[in-house]
Amino acid sequence: MNKYFSTKTSIFVFASPALLLFTVFCVYPLLPEIWMSLQKHDGFRSMGFVGLDNYRDVIASPSFWTAHKNTYLIVGISLLLGIPLSMMLALFMEVQTPKLRRFFKSAAMFPAILSVTVVSQIWLAFYEPNWGLFNSILKSIGLESWTHSWLTEKKTVMPSIGLVFLWQYIGLNAMLFYTGIKTIPKSYYEAALIDGANFVQVCLRITIPLLQNVIKYVLILSTLGSMAFYSHVRVMTAGGPGDTSRTVVYQMYYTAFDTSEFGKGTAIAVIFIVECLLISFLIQRFIARDKLEF
Amino acid sequence: MKYLSRIFWVAVGCTFLFPLYWMITMSLKSKSEAYSNPFGIPQSWRWDSFGEALSKYHYFTYLENSLIYTVGTIVITLTTGSMLAYCLSRMQWKFNTSMLFYVSMGLIVPIEVVVIPLFQLIKFLHLKNSYLGLILPYSGFAIASCVLMLYAFLRSLPKELEEAACIDGTNVYQAFFKIIFPIIMPALVTQCVLIFIRIWNEFPLAFIVASRDQFRPLTVGLLSFFVNVGVSDWGLIGATMFLSSLPMIIVYMVGNEKIENALTAGAILK
Amino acid sequence: MVKASKVMGTVLLTGTLLVSAACGNGNESASNQPSDSTTPAASMESSAGNVESASNEEKIKMRVITITTDENRNNIMEKFIKPNIASAFPNLEVEFEPGGGGEDMANKLKTLNSSGDMPDVFWNDAGYFTPLKSTGSILDLTSHITTDGFLGKYSVPDALKHVDGKIYSLSSGADTYFTPVIFYHKDMFEQAGVKVPTTFDELIQISKTLKSKDMVPAVTPGKDGWGPKLFMLQQMIQIGDPQAMSDLVSNKTDFNNPSVKAGVARIEQLAKEGVFPDGIANLDYGPAMEMFTSKRAAMLWMFTWELPNLAKDESVDFFPFPSASDKYDPTQNVQFWGSPLNGYAVSAKTKHPEEAVKLAEYLAMADALYFESTGAPISLNTGNEASERSPLMQKFVDWYNPIPNKIASLALNSLDARTSAEMSSQGANLLTGEYSTDKFIAAMGKIWSENTWFDN
Repeated sequence: MNKYFSTKTSIFVFASPALLLFTVFCVYPLLPEIWMSLQKHDGFRSMGFVGLDNYRDVIASPSFWTAHKNTYLIVGISLLLGIPLSMMLALFMEVQTPKLRRFFKSAAMFPAILSVTVVSQIWLAFYEPNWGLFNSILKSIGLESWTHSWLTEKKTVMPSIGLVFLWQYIGLNAMLFYTGIKTIPKSYYEAALIDGANFVQVCLRITIPLLQNVIKYVLILSTLGSMAFYSHVRVMTAGGPGDTSRTVVYQMYYTAFDTSEFGKGTAIAVIFIVECLLISFLIQRFIARDKLEF
Repeated sequence: MKYLSRIFWVAVGCTFLFPLYWMITMSLKSKSEAYSNPFGIPQSWRWDSFGEALSKYHYFTYLENSLIYTVGTIVITLTTGSMLAYCLSRMQWKFNTSMLFYVSMGLIVPIEVVVIPLFQLIKFLHLKNSYLGLILPYSGFAIASCVLMLYAFLRSLPKELEEAACIDGTNVYQAFFKIIFPIIMPALVTQCVLIFIRIWNEFPLAFIVASRDQFRPLTVGLLSFFVNVGVSDWGLIGATMFLSSLPMIIVYMVGNEKIENALTAGAILK
Repeated sequence: MVKASKVMGTVLLTGTLLVSAACGNGNESASNQPSDSTTPAASMESSAGNVESASNEEKIKMRVITITTDENRNNIMEKFIKPNIASAFPNLEVEFEPGGGGEDMANKLKTLNSSGDMPDVFWNDAGYFTPLKSTGSILDLTSHITTDGFLGKYSVPDALKHVDGKIYSLSSGADTYFTPVIFYHKDMFEQAGVKVPTTFDELIQISKTLKSKDMVPAVTPGKDGWGPKLFMLQQMIQIGDPQAMSDLVSNKTDFNNPSVKAGVARIEQLAKEGVFPDGIANLDYGPAMEMFTSKRAAMLWMFTWELPNLAKDESVDFFPFPSASDKYDPTQNVQFWGSPLNGYAVSAKTKHPEEAVKLAEYLAMADALYFESTGAPISLNTGNEASERSPLMQKFVDWYNPIPNKIASLALNSLDARTSAEMSSQGANLLTGEYSTDKFIAAMGKIWSENTWFDN
């Protein structure tokens, strides 16, 4: 029957629209990008082929490394804090009374559906140093010395922005985990409980291993999502003060548009794409091994 | 310990909903109260910010645009994506494996890094001042995750499905749309939700491509509005933020349970 | 599965409902907004005939991009341009595209230019002029405006010329009267018992006093280094040594000059002494203005383009930046904003240069009429009697006009795109108070040595 369906025409009809869209809008733009990165280019015209000079200059710039540090800080926050926290939230939801569970289900995804502009604007008001929420609370409970100018101090700016990102997507990830947990057959738990395992042991021995596929999915989603972290920074601090809160994507925009060095900007983009490829390869290779059937 | 964790998570849950409270109360406060009492309950309830927001902020134009971009992308991505996934999973084509790998690369490239050549391409194709100028690139970027998910879903389906159809003498197109399409509906709905969230809030490309006011989606319109108002009239800003988020909030409230079911469907496949 | 299709249905249904709701109300709201396209009034009034009769001809389409960020610009657009444009140009269909401002505007024009999609008329700025010129995208207006006599309406026609002797932009000339000053609330000063400072040290002193009385001493927009780049660096250098500042603008000296270094050190001092509120390095234009007008801050460091708006509050007065050495006297030296490049420019690639130039002239005149109505001095003759000036504006003109040494703005007249962007970042760093003068000088010194502005 597969032969009957798999005529050349039908393959063409089924495969070509998506492949065409994907190739034209997703893959093709990479070619001019690579080409541009090998030239001295101001966005309007090329001023000559310069080989790998752009790459060399970009790597030599301290801002490039600041941007990397920031990007991987965000990746670290969302993997090391975000995923465990959303897993904990999901496990917590599972054992709650139906009332509380309903509350969490409606609340959890709410930040994720708001636009970055709105979320950033709200958190700007939280972080505002003179009348903002955090400093007001700290002052009112007598912790005046803990107040910070959150978004302009070198030490606090990146963690502050990272917290916004964490907060916005923790619920969405928790929901993904939670829906995964619901699909695990109850008999597994019963067996474990008969063995005398407590809640934590059940989670560690049964729930989490069985959620491997969901975890892998969330892991890839979170990693790539936090790699491309940009819009929050743009609205909240414009990368500042100075280059303190620039991420790699921000640094790419800054170099291409603000300083009119499109050659260098696209060189950053190419390096960045290679990094993304490498990282997803690593995830595939080491974390997402064989599939688990149940 | 148990109570502590409960208190902690309930507090976190409340922070998730705080923006809603804040947007609404902010929009009801006067300009001076917004600064003197930024987080409390408004002392007097002023509704005029909403009127002002509706007259100054081209809300309905932006809303319509956002809906067109989102629905357009969903329709195109789901149709073409499911067809390709079907082809790769069920048809005998020697490039099946390589094509799957090729498409999966799309998961990795963030749209942010190709904005410059993408814009030139859109211009070259004369799509700049049309809705397709954003819908087609969005679809191109959404296809990868759509195809991979549907591929996994289709692989889990028994082959007997089409065999029956085959005996009936239906052709491949009828089989796909009449038999397969309804079966993969749960996966399509999951994708629908994920694409909706992603496209509704997309910013970097829309900011460059949808330059004309009449084509701007809510995200871009909102930022330009903030810039114009100068981020000082918080009442007005609260009102516009609330209005801009309203469609999402409605969709979310109406479809909350269903979105969750859709996610469940998605989770099994992963 | 049945459930799932219901979801799909619900989502789509909600979508459709919202679309139809949007359509229903969309038309309504569109009619009471000043819309982007031409209004029916255009066809009605075309019989009046202004430039050419265009009754039977197809209308010429014109695309205009202007800055849309500050209140002045929005007022000009809503009150002076949009209501009158249709009757002034019955043969044109003018579409206004908002350009945002600052980097947004620059990025937009750069992107449009790189893809050959330039608008017919646009607001030109020193920040993106060089790339536009090097691609031949900007029209030399000299012959056009000489022939039609528009040039003759300027009191100082030479001020329009770029260093290459050509004219690229038309403005109201209000720019040359923009200079940074320190606005302050008289009542707040009185309440704190402080007087207008005449020296930099006094400025620091009164700031400390104001701060001890729980007032924010001074605000200025600091986000992305706006204040430091556009005036603060220049002011802090020239209050110590005006000559060094002039030299820097004309590339005769660099950041190793001790006077330049002293200026940078003054900014560091201001930031460390708490003259500005916490978070100044991330403070946007709007909130900075708000802090001053709502009297939470006693001083506002700002250009005089805000003077007409601020003069509405009786308690607002201003003083020039106080001196830091005897080389500087505020009645002898001042920074002026203008650059011959700022103004309405015409794309060299427009299909209708004649009409586009006329449109640019019209827009420049609208600017002039607006600034004139606020009592601001301008150099483009509108043919109207000068309107009455507010006392504050009069005080400004009396101080500003006789000043012999007017130093051009560093930000507009000496920086290429990269230097400009880097100076923004470095300036914001300084405002945090966590960044040392030496670091700033080292970083800027390197960037300055790679500045390409003076190369051509």
